[in-house]
Amino acid sequence: MDDYLVGVLSNIGIISFVALSAYVLLLAGEVSFGQQAFFAIGAYAAGMASAMLRWPLAPALCLGALIGAVAAVAVGRATLRLTGLYFSMATLAFAEMVRIAFEIFTLQVDIGGSRVGPNGPDGFGDIRYLFENEITSIQYLCAIYVLLAMVLAGFFMLERSRAGRMLRQAGTDAVLAELQGVRVVRVRLIAAAAAGALAGLGGGLYAHLLTYVEPGNFNIMLGVHSLAYGLIGGLGTAFGPVLGVLIDIGLLESSRLFAGYRMIVFGGLVAVLLIVRPRGLLDERAVHRISTYVKGLFDALAARRLDRSLRRR
Amino acid sequence: MIDLIQNTLDGVMIGSSYALLALGFTLIFGTMRRLNLAYGPTIMAGAYLGTYASLRLGIGALPVALLVIVGAALVGLYVERLCFRPFGEGAVMASMISSFAVWMQIEEAATLAMPRHLNAFPPLITSAPIALGPYFFRADHLLMLIVAAVVAGLVYLALYHTRFGLGVRTVIDHRRAAELVGVPTERIMMLAFVLASSIGGIAGFLIAAGDGQITPMFGMWATTKGLIAMMLGGLGSVPGALLGGLALGVIETHAQSLFGPQVRDLIAWGLLFAVLTFWPGGLLGTRRIARAAAVQRRM
Amino acid sequence: MLEVSDIATAYGKIEALKGVSLRAGKGGITCLLGPNGAGKTTLMYTIAGILKPRRGSIRLAGAEIAGLPSARIVARGLALVPENRLVFPQMSVRENLLAGAYQRKDGAAVAQDIEQMYARFPRLQERREQLAGTLSGGEQQMLAVARALMSRPRILLMDEPSLGLAPLVVEEVFRMIGDLNRDGVTIFLVEQNAHMALKVAHHFYLMEQGRVTFSGEPGKLAEDEVIQRAYLGTKRPGRVG
Repeated sequence: MDDYLVGVLSNIGIISFVALSAYVLLLAGEVSFGQQAFFAIGAYAAGMASAMLRWPLAPALCLGALIGAVAAVAVGRATLRLTGLYFSMATLAFAEMVRIAFEIFTLQVDIGGSRVGPNGPDGFGDIRYLFENEITSIQYLCAIYVLLAMVLAGFFMLERSRAGRMLRQAGTDAVLAELQGVRVVRVRLIAAAAAGALAGLGGGLYAHLLTYVEPGNFNIMLGVHSLAYGLIGGLGTAFGPVLGVLIDIGLLESSRLFAGYRMIVFGGLVAVLLIVRPRGLLDERAVHRISTYVKGLFDALAARRLDRSLRRR
Repeated sequence: MIDLIQNTLDGVMIGSSYALLALGFTLIFGTMRRLNLAYGPTIMAGAYLGTYASLRLGIGALPVALLVIVGAALVGLYVERLCFRPFGEGAVMASMISSFAVWMQIEEAATLAMPRHLNAFPPLITSAPIALGPYFFRADHLLMLIVAAVVAGLVYLALYHTRFGLGVRTVIDHRRAAELVGVPTERIMMLAFVLASSIGGIAGFLIAAGDGQITPMFGMWATTKGLIAMMLGGLGSVPGALLGGLALGVIETHAQSLFGPQVRDLIAWGLLFAVLTFWPGGLLGTRRIARAAAVQRRM
Repeated sequence: MLEVSDIATAYGKIEALKGVSLRAGKGGITCLLGPNGAGKTTLMYTIAGILKPRRGSIRLAGAEIAGLPSARIVARGLALVPENRLVFPQMSVRENLLAGAYQRKDGAAVAQDIEQMYARFPRLQERREQLAGTLSGGEQQMLAVARALMSRPRILLMDEPSLGLAPLVVEEVFRMIGDLNRDGVTIFLVEQNAHMALKVAHHFYLMEQGRVTFSGEPGKLAEDEVIQRAYLGTKRPGRVG
C-alpha cells in the first residue's frame, strides 16, 4: 500500500473521531460548533505527555481523551441552560477562545539538547514518538482503525440499549423526556463527556500522526465540517458520520477529475442531497430499511436450515 | 482620558459596520429561524465582483459599490433558493449545513476568479484624517458611520412604516399567525433575505474600501463578526443588532489598544460566552425573549 | 357559503381527515363538534390553506379554494381565528389589528374599521398600545377575533374559542359570537364545549376520527347524547356510552 493511500486512510480514521464527537451531541439534541476545541486539547495534552514527559503512546492518548472529557463536562455545565442557537454559539465561542489561547501558549523544555514544546503561533512540533519507537505508518493505521472499530462497536451497542434510547429521547424532546423519567441533565453531561473524550482521543492520534500541530488547524472550519459529516453521511447510525468523512476526504482527495472546481461541485451536490435527504444518506428511515432487509436475509437462512434439518429426519 | 475617548469614537465607527452585518444576520434569522453560514461569503462574493470590475474595467468607487450590493443580493437569492426555501418547518440542521456547503463554493469561486490572496479594493476616500480638537477621525470611518446610520434609519422606516415591514415583523413574531392573517410568508422571507444580503453588501463595501483590500478570509470574518454582534445584542432583535455591533466595535478597539490583536479576539469571544451563559437573551433580548417564550408556551 | 366535499388530509402516512364533507350556510352559525384528535383543527387548517388536502374540494361562495396558498384564501374572504388564539405577542393590539388587514388595499377604510373594532371591544381600545403577549386569555380571544374581522371576511372560522377560558369569559365570548352573527357575519365554529355551542348553532356536525358522523339541527338529537359523543366519541355507532 503506497504511502499516500495510508496517509489518506489515516486521516479519514482520525477525523472520524471528531465527526463522531459532534454526532453524539447531535443525538442529544445539541448542535456543537466547538468540538475542535477538545480535538485541540487532546492533541496538545497527548503530544506534551509523549514528547515532554516521555510517556508511552497509550497513556498519552488516554490523557488526551481524559482531559478532553473533563473540559467538555466543564463547558457542558456552564451551558446547561442554553438550547438551540445559544448553545451552538457558546460552543463556538469556547472553541475560538481555546484556539487563541493555544496561539499564546508557550511552554518548552529541554529534551536532549533541543527545545521541545508548544511555541505559541508556531505550534507544537517534534512529537516524534512514532519515529523514535519505529512504528510504521501501516502499524499506526491499524491502531487507528482498531480504536475506531471499538468506538463503533460501542455505538452499535448503545443504539440497542436503554441508554441509547434515553439519549435519543432527550435529544428529540427534552421536556417530554423529563416527564418520561429521563434525567436530561445527566444525559447531556454524559454525552458531553463522551464527545469530549472522542475528540480528545482523535486529537492525540492526530498529533502523533503529523508529529506537528498548530493552533490554526483547530478553527471554525473543522467544527462546522464535523457537523457536516453527520448530516451528509446520515444521522441514523454512527456509520453515518464516518461515511460522511469517507465521502468528503476520500472522494475529494483522490479525485483529480474536478481539480480546481472540487468544492464548487461537491458543495452543490451536498446542497442538493440535503434537499432530498435532510437527515443524510444513512438517515433513520434508510437504516430501518437496511436492518429490516438484513433481518429478512437471516430469517430466510434460518428457515432454510430448519427446513433442511427437518427433511433429514 | 483622551485615548479612552478616541478609542471609543473609533470603536463606534468600526462598530457601525458590525451593526450593519448584525442587522442583516438578524433579519435572516428572525424570519427564517435558521442560521445562514453563507452570509459573510455572500457579501464577499459581491466584494470580489467589485474588485474584479475595478481592476479589469477600471470603474470608480461608486459603481463598484453598486456592483458589490447587487452582487451580494443576487448571491443571497441563490442561497435562499437552494439552502432555505426547499425546507419546510423542520430540518433546521440541513439548511444550515447546506449554507455551509455554499460557503465552500463561494470561497473556491472567489479564489479561482482572483487567485492572489490579497486583492486591492478601491478606497472610497483618500483624504487626510479630520482633526476635531485633540481627536482624529479617519474620513472613511466617518463615512462608514454616516452611511450605517442612514441605512439603519431606512430599515427602521421600512420595518415600521411600510406594509412590507409589517409583514416582516409578523413573520419574525409568529410565522403561523402571519400565514393566517394573509401575509405571503414565503415571498416576505425571500425579500427579507435579499434585503439582508444587500445590507451586508453595503457593510462589505464600506469595510473593504476602508481597508483598501479584500482577501478570501473575508467571508468567515464577516460571518463571525455578524454572529457575535447579533448574539450580544439579542437574538432576533433589530435594535439589539445595532447596539450589539456598536458595543462589539467599542470593546474590540479598547481591547486592541490595551492588549493587542490576539487578546482582542479572545476578549470578544469571552464576552460572548459570558453573555450567553449569564444573559442568554443578550443585552436587549432577555426580557422580551423570556416574555415571548412564556407567552408561546401558554399558547 | 362554504362547501367542503370529500376532503382528505394526511400528515405523512397518517390520514387525519378521511373524506370530510359539510357545508356552512350563509348568514348562519354552523358548528363542528367532536372529541380531541377527531381532526377538527386539521380540517380548519386545511380550509384556511395552511395544510394542503390530498383530495377533495373546498368551495367558498362557489369558487374553488382547495390548495390555494393561505394569503390568497384570506384575500378571497375567509379568515380563521385559530386554536390558542396565536396573536402576535411582541406587537401591540393596534399592530395586530393592522396585520389582520394585510391583504386590504383601502387604507382609510382600514383605519375606520379599527375604530369600529375598538367600539365593539372596548377593552381592546383601553389596551391598544399594549403588547398582545401580555393580555389575558379572554382579551387575546377578543383580539384574535377582531384581527380576523379586519380582513372583512365573508365567513369567519373559529377553532375552539372557549379553550382555556374561565366560564364567565366563555359566556362573554359566545355572546360576542351571537352578536357578530346578528350583524351579518357567517360563522363556522369548532368547539369542544358542546353545551355552549349548541345554544348558538343553527346547524351542527359531529366529527370523529377523521369523518363526519352526524349532521343536524340542535334539538334533533338529545342534548346529552350529543355531548357524550362530542366529548368521548361513540364506542359503537348508534349506541350511547
